[in-house]
Order: sequence, then C-alpha cells, then structure tokens
Amino acid sequence: MSNLKETLKAQIIEQLSLEDLNPADIQDDAPLFGGDGLGLDSIDALEFIVLLETHYGIRIADPSQGREIFYSVNTLADYIEKNK
Amino acid sequence: MKAVIHKIVSINHQDCFGKSNVWENLIPIQAGSAVVAPDYKEYIPAASLRRFSPVLRMSLTAAQSLKTDEAFDSISVGTSLGCLKDTEKFLQTFIQATGDTLSPTAFIQSTHNTIAGAISMALGNHAYNMTHTQNSLSFETALIDGAICLNDGKKNVLVGAADEAIDFLEQLKEEMIQTALPLTSGTTFLVLKPEGEGRKIIDCQIRFSCTDLDSEIAHFLEKNNVDPDQLALVLQSNNLSLTLGKQQINYEQFTGLYYTSSAFALHLANDFQKHSDDFVLIVNNQMNGKLGLTLIG
Amino acid sequence: MDIFVTGIGAISCIGMNVEEHLSSLVQEKSGIKKGERPFSTRFLVGEIPLTNEAIVAKYNLVADYSRTSLLGCIAASEAFANHKRDKRIRTGLISGTSVGGMDISEVEYKSYLNLGQHNIQKYKAHSSGNSSEEIAAFLGIGDFVNTISTACSSAANAIMMGARMIQQGVLDRVVVGGTDALTEFTISGFRSLMIFDDQWCRPFDETRKGLNLGEGAGYIVLESQASIDKSGAKKLAKLKGWSNASDAYHQTASSPNGYGATLSIQEALKVAKLQPSDIDYINAHGTATPNNDLSESQAIINVFGDQIPAFSSTKAFTGHTLAAAGGIEAVISVLAIQNNTLFANLNHSHVIEETKLQPVVRTTKVDKIRNVLSNSFGFGGNNSTVIFGEV
Repeated sequence: MSNLKETLKAQIIEQLSLEDLNPADIQDDAPLFGGDGLGLDSIDALEFIVLLETHYGIRIADPSQGREIFYSVNTLADYIEKNK
Repeated sequence: MKAVIHKIVSINHQDCFGKSNVWENLIPIQAGSAVVAPDYKEYIPAASLRRFSPVLRMSLTAAQSLKTDEAFDSISVGTSLGCLKDTEKFLQTFIQATGDTLSPTAFIQSTHNTIAGAISMALGNHAYNMTHTQNSLSFETALIDGAICLNDGKKNVLVGAADEAIDFLEQLKEEMIQTALPLTSGTTFLVLKPEGEGRKIIDCQIRFSCTDLDSEIAHFLEKNNVDPDQLALVLQSNNLSLTLGKQQINYEQFTGLYYTSSAFALHLANDFQKHSDDFVLIVNNQMNGKLGLTLIG
Repeated sequence: MDIFVTGIGAISCIGMNVEEHLSSLVQEKSGIKKGERPFSTRFLVGEIPLTNEAIVAKYNLVADYSRTSLLGCIAASEAFANHKRDKRIRTGLISGTSVGGMDISEVEYKSYLNLGQHNIQKYKAHSSGNSSEEIAAFLGIGDFVNTISTACSSAANAIMMGARMIQQGVLDRVVVGGTDALTEFTISGFRSLMIFDDQWCRPFDETRKGLNLGEGAGYIVLESQASIDKSGAKKLAKLKGWSNASDAYHQTASSPNGYGATLSIQEALKVAKLQPSDIDYINAHGTATPNNDLSESQAIINVFGDQIPAFSSTKAFTGHTLAAAGGIEAVISVLAIQNNTLFANLNHSHVIEETKLQPVVRTTKVDKIRNVLSNSFGFGGNNSTVIFGEV
C-alpha cells in the first residue's frame, strides 16, 4: 500500500505538471484540493480521472464523484485498492 | 485616433524585458536563438505557471508587469496562430489516445482567447476582453480595437499581441512559410491612455488587398497631414525596401518571424528618440498585400 | 446613432437558410441526432447533413475552403444577398470562429502522426483569420476584415465590434457573426471536459447533464441610416445594445453568482438605454451544462429580480455551435421580433431547484416583442450580451 502511495504521488506530479514538487512534499492525508491543500482545481479533478484510467484501468463516469475519491492520497489509494 | 502610449513592454528573443530603451543591445536574430525570458515565477503563481505554455507565460508576465492600482478598463489582444503548443498537444492527445479518457488541460488552453482570459483572471479584471486573430494584422486589429475603446471613453486600455513558435512549424517552413528568418516567439503589451506624457499613436489602418503600396502610404500620410520628410524612421517588414523617410529599418531582423511582430515594431518606434515634430511609420506587409500602417508621433 | 439590421443569414442542423430555421423553430423540430461522421457517431450532435463536396457543388463554392469557411460563406451570403455593392459605402466583415480550418488541419496532422506524411499546403486553411478572408472574398468585401476568437462568445463580440465601428464612423456597413464546423478536435475537447450529455440536452432543466455540440454559421448585416440612404436596404430590426465583460473566475467554469454575466447584461441594457422591463424575451446562452445554466439563471435573477422576462435557450434545437452561436441566435432574436414569437426551450420538464426559473417551453406567438436580449458566454469567462429591438 505504501508503494502504491509513493507511485501515486509521482504520477500525480507528472499528470498535473506540478514541476516544483517532489513526492516527499505531498503528505498522505493532506487535502489535495482547495486553498489549504495543493491548491488543485476542477481541471485537475478531470486530470485525476485520466490518471485513474491510464494507470489503473479504473473508469469514473461521473466527474462529481471525484471530490470524495480525490480528497487525499490516502482516499485515492483506498479507492484504487477497492476497485482495481 | 487619440492614443498615448503610457507604457510598453516586450518579451522575445531580444534581451529587452524591463529595459528602458529596447534599441540598446539590439541584435539581429540568428537561427537557434531562444526567448530571453525573465523569471516567470516572480509574476505567475506556481499553481497556474505549471500549466502554462510559453506564449501564456510571456504574455501574462508582460501584462502583469504593466498593472497598477488603476484597473484596465479594456483588454484587447491580437494573436495570429494562438496557443500553438497546447493546440498541437491536444491533437496528439486525441489522435494517439489508447484509453477512453482524454487529458483536458491542453484543450482548455488551446483557444485563442486563453491569453486574454488568463490576464483577466490573474488581474481580477472584469472589463471588456477581446481577442483578434487576423493573421499578420492581428496586432493592428487589436490596436484599432483599443483605439475604439478610448473613443468610447475608456481611460486605461491594455493592448497586446503574442505568438509562439513550435518545432512543427519548421516542417512547414520550406514549402509554406518560405522565409529566411528563424521562426520565433514574442509578445508586446502596452497601456494606452487618451492623454498624458508619451508617444502618440496617430493612426492605424489596414488594407486587405493592397496592390499599390506607395500610393497607399502616400494617401495615409496625406490623410494625417504628415509629409514624408517628417518621417524620422520607417520600420518595415522584411519583404520591403522602401526609401521613404530619413531612415529605414527592417524590424523583422530583430524579431525573427512571427505574425504579430509589428507589435515589437511599435515598441521600437516608441523608444526611438523623438525630435520635435518628427514621426515614425510602421509598414507591415508580412503577408504580401495584407497591409498594416501605423503612424507614431 | 441608430444601428439597423438589414440582413440575416443562417445555416445549422435546423435549416439551410433563415426560412427553414423559422419553420423548425415554429414546428419545434430539433436537428440534434446521432452523428454520422466517423468521429461523431458516439454522440448526439447538431450536424449539417451535407458533406463538404455536396456543399461546394450545391452553392458553387471554392473546393478547398475549410468546412468553417464554407458554412460561413453560405450564411454570410444569405445575409448580404441583396445588398448593393457601392464603393461609397465602406463595408467590412467581422467574423467569429474558434475552429477556423481545424477540420482540414486535424486530418493532415493525423496523417503526419500516423503515417509520417501530410500535404503541407493544406495547413494554409488552418488559421482563424483565413476563414474570414475567404468569406470576405466570396462576398466581395475588402474594406475591413477582422476575426474575433473568444470561443462561444465570438459572434456576439463580432456584432459588438461592428456596431462600434459604425458608431465611430470607421465603417458604414458591416457583416458580422460567426461560423464553426464540427471537428474531431472540438468533439474530443468537450469529451475531455466531460460536459456532454449522452442524451438530448435539457437547457435550464434540473436534470440537465451537459451539452450537445452543433455546427453552423449565422450572420447579420448592420448599417447606419446614412448607409441605408445610399443602399436602400430594408430595415429588419435595430441593434440597440451590446456589451462584453469578464467573469475572471475560472478558465472554463462560470462563477456561481453569475458575476460576469450580470455585468454584461446590465451594461448592454445601459448601452441600449433600456430598463429590464423593456425586455420581452431573452434568448439565453443556455448550453445545458450544470454550471452555465445555474450561473446564467442567477445572473438573470440579479438583473431582473422577480420580473423575469420570457426566456429560452434554443440550443436544444441547434446544439451548441460554439463561435457561431451568437450569430445564429442573433438571427433567431430578429425572427422573434419580426414574428412576435417566443421560441421554445425544448426538452424541459423540471425547473432548476435553486433558482426556480421557468423557461418558455412551447413556441408561442405573443402580441408584441419589442426587445430581445441574447447572451453568449465563452471560455475564459468571456461574457457578451446583445440587444435587438423592433425598428
């Protein structure tokens, strides 16, 4: 599981072009979206959907489901484990 | 036209951003040169910067560097080919897609008005916001729009132009673009006011099928009561060899080829030393027959 | 100075000309159905049922024009058909497009990526500016040509720029509007944003899920009285107001409180010297996305309070024609005035919970339509409004 989280962080950085970040900069439980988090927005939410399909073969048909799934690296990793 | 250039900035292959006189250190552009860029991080927050293509970075930085406490009451941007990098990226995205989902960022940023839109968002600006895409006359049409805004009573008008080169354009160079100039990128932004200190843009005119250039120019000068002898400088696109005025310079040698480079010609005109009542004329004939004439006082 | 509309022209999935548009609107017949092009078969779209070759043959147009140019030539020449060519009348064309010649470029680029070969000359059609020049050449207009590219508000902005150029005495007469063809680029683009509805779109409906894309072109001719004195053209309507404002909220989404839209509606009313109560019909932007329709509803409430005029989105007829939308809807607005008819907001069953605004759901003849307000909102928070009135 922790491997998955480290891999996820690298994939997030790549998919969202977070050029100044390293995986170590992203806390497992930190909110990814909104002002307090990495400051990601709704465009990034769509990029997450692409990430999930490209790397994990998981399809999310309704973008509004994204809010819960992509809350943090933890919630994202949980979702992947449950749905892969 | 009653437009005073209050401030003007450019970012391109010259080392000119923030310089008080772009004529200093001006060098002819060679193949293989690159944009001389400032540190974009000083002007654009990381959250936006990470997504932005070169044309977005340079134009937003130029616009940011001009902002003051007084909000712009209109924004007009010209771009001939728009956000090419993102356009190409999205073409690749959907043509080479293996899965069902497609990455949206490049699509969102491929529309021509991403530049002007990004400026309005960064500045929190709610005013009139327009994007003109009329090939080699995109800057002139944006400038004409800016002048119309001033005539409408606006007092603090932002006008600019930007274009970027991508590697793919080299493919088109030999057969379609046919130029000896390197393909380059650049942006120029300026603040226009109805009055005040600064060079004046006296007139800007465009023609779509100019067959008699000399006559068009003569008529333009006459219309503005300017004698050719009063032209201290004529800045012309590279395919011209006019002998009018005291000095003639081909501006594209300093910009390379992009289709809104006449905006940098305006910057050159602005920074050219003015003596009493002399004038500068810009003659943009980059796409033969599509003529842009701009007179600076 | 009064600005008059003296010509209208349109082509979309609901008609090849203005008369067919009126007929479809009156009969409440949408043109949205399953796409027939290789890249559109998965979607419900508003496609014009003619190939480029068929268009070229039928209208005697230039064979290597992009589809965007072809559609533009048809609609613009309908609008400008009977207008007098007169050197004393300074005439321009201002056209909006977001796609330009991408319908050609994407084919060549695909061949380049997949096969390593492409016909380089074909990329000449690519630029937005090119389509306007081709339309202008077809119409014989040479005094002024400009292209506006602000996504879905392009045509409305073209109308606004034309009006200001006439008012400031730079032009006497101008053909304004927009054109966009359906392309794999735009279909893929909107797919990447996940804002399509896989069913027929439902503007202003609580259950709306997204938009259906369309293609088409719509143009109107604007003239000053001085120009009409020379041209003898017939006045169809007045262009009374216009405006453009920025939302400055997000690159693709509109602000929840409809701030930019509120500004553009208010400013257009001011330019027209009208009160909200003078508006008898709003032809809304109404793309049927969850975001737009809520934001636009909020803006309408902000301006009109509890005196909401009759309003509808006609995008369930035509689909969202992107840069052409403001032009086609300008034509529809003029038709509303000419025929004293409100056009249906098709496929509506439930008002939006949050705002409870009820659109006109049947095409309805009324005693009088004095003024119509038309909204067009583009990506980048570009909000435009134009107002037409009876002559």
